Parts: sequence; structure tokens; C-alpha cells
Amino acid sequence: MVGDLGGEGASNVNVWSAPTGTAGPPGAGAQPVFTTSDVDELDRLAGVREVVPRGSAPLSAVRSGDDTVALQQATTYGRPYFASEDLRDGRAFRQGANETVLNPTAAALFEENVSVGDTLTLTLEDGRQAEVRVVGILDTSGAQDPFEGFGEGPRVYLPADPYYERVVTAPGSGERERAYPAAFVIADGPEAVDGVRERTLDYLRDESDAASLLAPNAEFVAQTNEELLDQVRDILDTLTAFVTGVAVISLVVGAIGIANIMLVSVTERTREIGIMKAVGASDRDVLGLFLVEAVVLGVVGALFGTLVGFGAGYLGTRFVGLPYVVPWEWAVVAVVVGVLVGVVAGLYPAWNAARTDPIDALRYE
Amino acid sequence: MTAVPEASVESAVSLQAVRKRYDRGEPVFALDGVTLDLPRGSYTAVMGPSGSGKSTLMNLVGLLDTPTDGRVVVDGRDVATLSGADRTALRGEAVGFVFQTFNLMPRLTALDNVALPMVFAGVARANREARATALLGGVGLGDRLDHLPNELSGGQRQRVAIARALANDPTILLADEPTGNLDSKTSADVLALFDELNAEGNTVLLVTHERDVAEHAERIVHILDGRLERVEELDTVSHI
Ligand SMILES: Nc1ncnc2c1ncn2[C@@H]1O[C@H](COP(=O)(O)OP(=O)(O)OP(=O)(O)O)[C@@H](O)[C@H]1O
Ligand SMILES: [Mg+2]
Repeated sequence: MVGDLGGEGASNVNVWSAPTGTAGPPGAGAQPVFTTSDVDELDRLAGVREVVPRGSAPLSAVRSGDDTVALQQATTYGRPYFASEDLRDGRAFRQGANETVLNPTAAALFEENVSVGDTLTLTLEDGRQAEVRVVGILDTSGAQDPFEGFGEGPRVYLPADPYYERVVTAPGSGERERAYPAAFVIADGPEAVDGVRERTLDYLRDESDAASLLAPNAEFVAQTNEELLDQVRDILDTLTAFVTGVAVISLVVGAIGIANIMLVSVTERTREIGIMKAVGASDRDVLGLFLVEAVVLGVVGALFGTLVGFGAGYLGTRFVGLPYVVPWEWAVVAVVVGVLVGVVAGLYPAWNAARTDPIDALRYE
Repeated sequence: MTAVPEASVESAVSLQAVRKRYDRGEPVFALDGVTLDLPRGSYTAVMGPSGSGKSTLMNLVGLLDTPTDGRVVVDGRDVATLSGADRTALRGEAVGFVFQTFNLMPRLTALDNVALPMVFAGVARANREARATALLGGVGLGDRLDHLPNELSGGQRQRVAIARALANDPTILLADEPTGNLDSKTSADVLALFDELNAEGNTVLLVTHERDVAEHAERIVHILDGRLERVEELDTVSHI
């Protein structure tokens, strides 16, 4: 698809409007201000290959045969958006046609999986009904553009004509025109993207319908996918630092826990240590016994922790909608660190145990 | 300090002017100049009132403790010249200690308790188990191998403790009031076992409060306030 964040998407400028001075996620607070004329004008700017306006159509339900599911909205694109490699099956929808493309999650919503050629009945927000033919099923349920956010929920895609119904009287032409909250301005290539971004903002601020339609406290935002990726990277870096911090704290707490258990275990067994030394156990024998115990504790803890980590990671990524990747090298690191922590934390109590004077230990009650 | 006689090569244990001081508030001499010689193969009983230093003496002979002053020679080795690890090794090999309070490992079976000293002496598992089984058979506990200490009677526990003391085939057998907790029948069995071990050539040192127990020995050493009060030679022939 042309909205890919990397590769082809490196030529994209994502345009929307936002309340002045806010730095929310893409599309946050966007108003429907970009008219069809604006889209055409943007298309004519130097270095612009294509402009895809984006909006959403409010729905209340989708029905397939006798099976009805609730769905709040469909995403609409005003130009061809999906490429054939984005589709598992079928083709992209055409503008002006009663056609739809579903993501796999949406196709699986119904008791009988929907496939290409089936007809769905959409119930619009205001109660009107529309019949659309499924012409394509997407390859993945991941986000199809930067405005969708993460998450793999069910999504229905429609052509803006006829399903995007937000219209205004365009100040330029005086005609009723569709007005979109967002658009992708696609440059001829990644090298042109910064110039296109500048020209887009200049045009929007100075000459567009959008400039007159925009609320007083709002401004235009034009962000390249590169900038967007940087933002995402920043967030991920912060998240990674946070998780690492939590892991380090857990390790420290775990080490203290092991040391404490070992201390208690040594104290509880003072008498047994005395007996062992009285029948010929050397300091090294005793040290070895307790070290083995600490290591076993560390290994068991690390393995258990790793399993819990895999589980939590799986649930967490399912919840946020990110792909689940098992970081085997980190699992190995976790086990090794667990064992090391066991040894280090067990060293002091073990050394204490080994030094115990057998007479004192035997007298210990 | 006065010259002390050289330890005889014949001695299993030799104490020369041994003192043991404890510093708890007032310094206490638990042993205050004890010179004593245990010939190899001898059988000696130690008697004395409570607090007179009997257990302190046993701990020194058993290499569990070191003297404040004087010399302790065990099996020809001067304890003062031994490192902690060497002392531990000698204790494991040469000395068998039977404690008044048994001191069995509560979570180990009778068999494992008896095998324990052999673990630290580096005996292979199969050999340990065979010997432990034989030793327990020898003290009449062949049918109690898998019992934990708390599943055994007092007398049985004492016999496990004796079997354990014999595990590494020690030349010196120390027993601190081994019959203190036993009824007269079990006492007699345990004492008979000691007589037998002594007859096989082991050196036996035994602490007791009871005169008739002490009379199993060849001689009785009387201790009072950390000093040797007198040594009483017994006519062992008449005893038998
Ligand atoms: N660790 C210690 N700290 C301080 N004093 C000690 C210590 N061990 C023994 N003593 C003191 O040394 C003296 C001799 O104690 P020991 O245990 O040898 O007596 P004992 O002859 O075995 O007495 P009992 O017949 O009651 O067992 C006692 O006065 C005791 O209080
Ligand atoms: Mg005592």
C-alpha cells in the first residue's frame, strides 16, 4: 500500500489539522477542512505524484446474510490506495463503485467467513442501508495508514465516492464539495519529500479552501513518515528504557531475595552444618553445598521468570497489536544473569555457613 | 612454663599441660593444666561433676576445638601445627565422636546419616552404602536403614550415632555420656559394643556420671574444676 511507513511510504507526507500547539498522535483533533478542490490543487504542486484524501464513514452495523455485527466506522480513501501485493485475495475498490475491501479480522467477524464476491449490507449511522460487494481481502490486519494506530481490530475500507458524505460549500468554487480531515500527499520520490512538505504547507496556509475553513485555534500539520517513525522510535526508546529499568530493579530485588532465603536457610541449618563439620565436612564442602543451592534457586527463578516473561510479552503485544517476537538471546541473557545473581547472592551466606565453628553450631538450638 | 614430657609414639592421644580459657565476662578456665596420655588400644573413662570440663576435654581430643595453652597430639600429629582443613580431615579419618545429644541429621535416613562422614572422606557411593549397611547391621539396626531419626527410639538413635562414629574406621572413639539417655538394657548393649570395639584395638575415651558405666574401662580419670584430680587404675580382669 502507498501508506507503508518505510519503503514506498518514504515519499509520503501525512497532512491533517490539529489544535494549535498540540503534539498528539497523527490525526488527533483533525477537522474536515480539505476540500476536493484542495486535493486537486495539491496534486498539481511540483514534485507531487498523487494525493489520497482520507476520511471515515460512521456506521452502526454490518450484515452478512443473517449475521449482523456492530461496527462504528469504515475508513474511506478518495483515490486508489491498495496495491495488489497488499491483498491476499481480489483487487482494490474503484471510486464510485459499491465495493469494499476488508482486513482479515473483519472477514472473520462473521460466523461464515466472508470472501471475495460476497455482498455485505452496511447500516449507516443514520439508519440508511447500503449494499457493498467485497472485492478484496487484505493480507494483514495491521495498520494500513499512520492514522489508524496499532491494533489488529476489524476494519472495513470503502471508496470515498460514494461513502464519504461530509460536504461543505467550498469557499473557492462556491460548490458543495467533500471535505476530508486528512490526506496523504505522495511525492515523486523520497528525495522530493521535504520540498513537497514545504510546498504543501505553503499552499494550505496561503491559498487553500482549508485555510478559510480551519477553526481559529487550529493549524496544519504536515509530517513525513520519516518524522513519524522518529516519533515512534522515541516512544519505543522510552518504553525500552523503562522496561530495562524495571528489569534491573527486579534483578536487584531478586538478588536480595535469594540472599535472604539463603541466610535464613543457613541459620535454620546451623546445627546441621555443625554436625556435618563435626563428621569431617571441610569449609569447602559446606560452601559448595550452599552455592549449589543458590545456583539451583537462581536457575529455577530465571527459567520461571523467562516463561512468565514470554507469556506477559505475548499478552502485551496482543493487547497493543504489535507483532510478537520471542527474543531468544534475551532469554539466554536472563537465565545467565539469574544464575549469576544466585551465585553472587548466595556467596555471602554460603561463606558464613562454611566458617561456622562446629562447636558453636552444635550448641545452637 | 615447665618442661612437658614428649608424647609417646605409642599414644593415641596425648595432652600436655592443656588449658582452655573462655572469656565470657570473667575469664573461666574450663581446663586448667591437664596432662593425660591415652595409649593405643586403651579404654579410659572420664568422671567429674557438671561443669568440671569433661566436654571441653572431649572437644579438644576430638579436634573440634583448639587449646588456649599446652599441646594436644592426636594420632601422632600436633594439633597446633595443623591447618583448619587438615584438622577437619584428621577429625574425619582418625576420630569417631558419639555425642550426648546424638546430633543426627534430622532429614537424613539412618543409612544416609551413617554414610555422611564417608561422603566427606571421598568414599564412592556404592562402597559407602555397603559399609553403612554393614555398620547398622552391626549395631542391630539392619531393619531400620530407611528410618529418619524421629522415627527411631532414643537407644536406636544412639546406636545410629555410634555406627556413624565408626564409619571411617577411626582409631579413636570418643563418647560423651553415650548412655545418659538410655535405659539399663540399651545401656548394656551400647557398652557391650564399646567393649567389643576396644577389644578390636580401638582407643576408647568415654565420659560418664555413672560409676558402673565407668567400670567398663581400664582406668577412670577424675576431673574437678578443670584439673585432673586423680587417675584410678581398674583391675579389668576382675570386671570380666
Ligand atoms: N563456649 C563457652 N563459653 C563460655 N564458657 C564455657 C563454654 N563452654 C564451656 N564453658 C564453661 O566451661 C566449663 C566446663 O564446661 P564443660 O561443658 O566442659 O563441662 P562438663 O564437665 O562437660 O559438664 P556436664 O557434665 O554438665 O556436661 C563450664 O564452667 C562452662 O560454663
Ligand atoms: Mg558435658
